[in-house]
Amino acid sequence: MRITIFDYGAGNLHSLAKALHTPSAEVVVQDDPVAALETDVLVLPGVGAFAAAAERLSPGREAVREALRAGLPAVGICLGMQLLFDASDEGGGAGLGLVAGRVRRLNAVRVPQIGWNLVEDTPKDSPFADSKLAMAYYANSYVCQPTDVSVVTAWSTHEGDRFPAAVRVNNTIGVQFHPEKSSAAGVRFLHACLDEVLRSSVGQ
Amino acid sequence: MLTRRVVVCLDVSEGRVVKGTQFVELRDVGDPVELATRYEREGADEIVFLDISASAEGRATLLDVARRTAEELFIPLTIGGGIRSANDMGHALRAGADKVSINSAAVARPAVLSESADRFGSQCVVASIDAKWDAGWSAWRVYIKGGREPTSLDAVQWAQACVGHGAGEILLTSIDRDGARTGYDVELTEAVSAAVNVPVVASGGAGSAEHVCDVLQHGADAALLAGILHDRETTVADVKRVMRAAGLEVRS
Repeated sequence: MRITIFDYGAGNLHSLAKALHTPSAEVVVQDDPVAALETDVLVLPGVGAFAAAAERLSPGREAVREALRAGLPAVGICLGMQLLFDASDEGGGAGLGLVAGRVRRLNAVRVPQIGWNLVEDTPKDSPFADSKLAMAYYANSYVCQPTDVSVVTAWSTHEGDRFPAAVRVNNTIGVQFHPEKSSAAGVRFLHACLDEVLRSSVGQ
Repeated sequence: MLTRRVVVCLDVSEGRVVKGTQFVELRDVGDPVELATRYEREGADEIVFLDISASAEGRATLLDVARRTAEELFIPLTIGGGIRSANDMGHALRAGADKVSINSAAVARPAVLSESADRFGSQCVVASIDAKWDAGWSAWRVYIKGGREPTSLDAVQWAQACVGHGAGEILLTSIDRDGARTGYDVELTEAVSAAVNVPVVASGGAGSAEHVCDVLQHGADAALLAGILHDRETTVADVKRVMRAAGLEVRS
């Protein structure tokens, strides 16, 4: 099985690559968005600014969106989750538009939100339950605001501002926190997500 | 609600964790990867590597250390020391840092903060500020070059300026308390925390778990610990137990 991390050229991909690794998985880092689709699972990682990442994604924007719509298993982390949406208040450029809605700034005094926060209202049968991930590491100034909240599978709250911790559309899971930085439970969660998106794609 | 963080700092020189004062009598205390992962297992919420290498070769070695650490460590890693530009920051992030702290270079040219934040996002730009009480000024003065060189900057105003330039977190070290183990500079931490709207990590002076609780109850979002953990006077788990008993939200 091949897992491909799309590289926007910004941050640390080592922890993520290592966290995704399993004996049966080949983890590839790819900076060409179209070539990144030659994979069993696409991972949109979580470091960088929206505008810069959207620009790196733009040559393959249509192709990636169509692949995800058609059911390619994918996991988006932090900025990678935000790129699933239409646009962001953080900066210009188009997101993938897989999930209808915008990315907005956190409505709180202390922004960015940096640290460990509770992940709430998680479904019983989900990667959250499988991994026992109850608290996760966040480092973000912006959060997603889907038009249809039924895509949200978990929530978190920062200074009273409740925002989606996780969304699910087709075989794509997006999470606002960093599982690869959420210690052992985070790594288990990442593997549970891979199992989930792969299982659901096989079932189609 | 965010929990209060316990951040463990390791001084790294030429690729090894060292202990000592003022670059003299540095004693090798271990491998950065081994120590960082040990502290993760003990419950640390974050790790900081402070590069105190005296040479360019030493700094290059740190990037290799960051790479090896990132593959083993699954909590956030901040790297600081010798970062001069957004390009330096990019190298550190690529190597394995999740956040990068900038100190002297930001004083010399504050735009380095905004250039870094534009490219990588504010959440990974940490402004590191070393401050010392100035009785004549009745204010805290900013020092650079590892605390050796005074500037004309007021620490509280400088912290605000750093946030204005895009810093997403302040790592605030009290030179007066550093290494003294008599408690954090609570007044300094409160003053800076009240003046900025980003998280403040208090550093310098931790002698006990009670000191940690004290500063976290007075404006700090996180407390940085080094010596008392490395000397095994206490453990992260014990510090967190005391924090929990004091009513602070803690990641278990």
